[in-house]
Amino acid sequence: MGNFAIEAKQLVKKFPARAGTGDKNGAPAPQLRRQLFARKEPKTMFTAVNGVDLQIERGEIFGLLGPNGAGKSTTIRMLCTLLEPTSGTAQVNGFDIVKQATDVRRSLGTVLAGERSIYWKLTGRENLEYFAALNHIPPTVAKKRVDELISRMEIKDRANELVEKYSTGMRQRIAIAKALLARPPILLLDEPTLGLDPQAARRVRELIAELKSEGHTILLTTHYMEEADQLSDRIGIIDTGKVIALDTPESLKRCIDQQEIIRLELTGWHEEIAERLKSVAGIEHITTHQQGEADVWEVNLHAQNSRLALPRIVEHISGNGTRLVNMNIVKPSLEDVFIHLTGKALRD
Amino acid sequence: MAIQSTTFTRSLARPNFLSALRALWAVMKREWMIFVRYPSWVISLFIWPIIFPLSYVLTARALSGRDGSGMALFQAATGVHDYIGYIAVGTTIWMWQNVVLWNVGFSLRNEQLRGTLESNWLSPTWRFAYLLGSSAPQLLSMLMFLTVSAIEFTLFLGVRFEGSLWLTLLTILVAVPSVYGLGFAFASLVITLKEANAFVFLVRGIVMIFCGITFPISILPDWMRPIANWLPQTYIIHAIRSASLSTEGLPAILGDLQALALFGIFWLTAGYLVFNWMERRARRTGAIGQY
Repeated sequence: MGNFAIEAKQLVKKFPARAGTGDKNGAPAPQLRRQLFARKEPKTMFTAVNGVDLQIERGEIFGLLGPNGAGKSTTIRMLCTLLEPTSGTAQVNGFDIVKQATDVRRSLGTVLAGERSIYWKLTGRENLEYFAALNHIPPTVAKKRVDELISRMEIKDRANELVEKYSTGMRQRIAIAKALLARPPILLLDEPTLGLDPQAARRVRELIAELKSEGHTILLTTHYMEEADQLSDRIGIIDTGKVIALDTPESLKRCIDQQEIIRLELTGWHEEIAERLKSVAGIEHITTHQQGEADVWEVNLHAQNSRLALPRIVEHISGNGTRLVNMNIVKPSLEDVFIHLTGKALRD
Repeated sequence: MAIQSTTFTRSLARPNFLSALRALWAVMKREWMIFVRYPSWVISLFIWPIIFPLSYVLTARALSGRDGSGMALFQAATGVHDYIGYIAVGTTIWMWQNVVLWNVGFSLRNEQLRGTLESNWLSPTWRFAYLLGSSAPQLLSMLMFLTVSAIEFTLFLGVRFEGSLWLTLLTILVAVPSVYGLGFAFASLVITLKEANAFVFLVRGIVMIFCGITFPISILPDWMRPIANWLPQTYIIHAIRSASLSTEGLPAILGDLQALALFGIFWLTAGYLVFNWMERRARRTGAIGQY
């Protein structure tokens, strides 16, 4: 058995670059029919994951943080044996993801696509019984385990109703329960709170923290930085298929400690102001985000010294129909780390 | 660092031959439960057996004349005096193959569209079991369909099944591997192709024209007849007609059964190989997760 729960070395995944839109995993849309029997590798390839190295310790929550299309889901799909890497190697629970794929799947509980990964025309209990059989859990153990998870997921009263009648949060809990059935040592959770209301998302986050305390190793992908910050022991920041930073949340934030984040809220924002602000000495990055549909913009300025920069900033945003609504100097967040590393916001 | 003394490395999974059979049974049970929760299947079970052959039966009646005098030529060509039974059996076998192409052929694709294919694929179960297991309830519903068809033909069309029930069942049993093997190959291709309506129409069109669902293949042009000999449905239709409508017994269908056994081995092997090829290809291309 390997020392690490998950260990990946130079994982690369390339897909044939194709016309049309890609799918939710970053994989391109289906190729023209003639590609089906094509023996030669297409000339143009799209690299979804580009040399990812990971060493995830047993018992830790490792967060893979990055924007949509960064390569998070493709990495998870390789680790759970749904995809074969183009090159590189990875071991999960000591098993090779290509040569010992069945052993890898036996070691994993994976949540992908959340609520769509279960059968809506079956009840919650029927879903769990079905997946327990697929996971080769002995019937007597399975029965107890299903009852236990139904209680734990707080769906006891509705366990015998069809899943189609459940809320999104309940379906997500069933999807997580499905992954926990075999009590696998390692859990892969791909965007587990995506699309959930705040209360349901909080419940899922609490559950993830509980699972860690029970000894599970968890690889979590998310593009919610607060979630990664709150849950993860360590975080890998992934962008354009590469892990560009990997450390504890505190260490990552410390790397931009010398910077200050000036957060402005203003109305009447236009690009000309951005150009003027870039010329202010000490300003390194500027990101903007419109708040809702109103003409209120959040503007984050990464500055070396806010005291020196502030007078010039105020001068540049005054007049021309722009009005300053609010201003704060805040501590760097993981999003600021991401901006510092990539020059763009996670939500871009 | 996060390493804890309470970590563990082994799950509750205890794989063995029995657990593999339980997984296969679970797939069958799941498919059946979902099938019966769409109540419209009952309507198709009772309506289709009578509706579909009726148009051919009425056409035959019109061509044979009011007094049925045109039937002599048909009888000479087919050796069968019950043209309604002849048509009913042919169209029923065509419907069987058609339903297999739609239901078994699209079973994996439907899972893919629902989003459940990946969660099945993530379990440590033998992946061909999903296809095999989801076909079994379909076979059961098809046997119900064939039974209802036989009852309705007798009651409403006056067909007299004078042959042997056991020989008919034996023929169906021997025909199953060919019919479902083609369905397996089809299901695997659809995962990659995503859309296969055109193929379904092509295959069922070929069966309709070459296998003599409503006419004897002896009337086909010379170049078409050898093609009919390479299609298992030709033998299925001939054997079930002989077994159910005539009293000629086993000798009349022995050749058909032998041919069907060989076709069965070929199509089941082909279905399995195509599935494995698709599964490997999907891991390379990511086709499983694509809609």
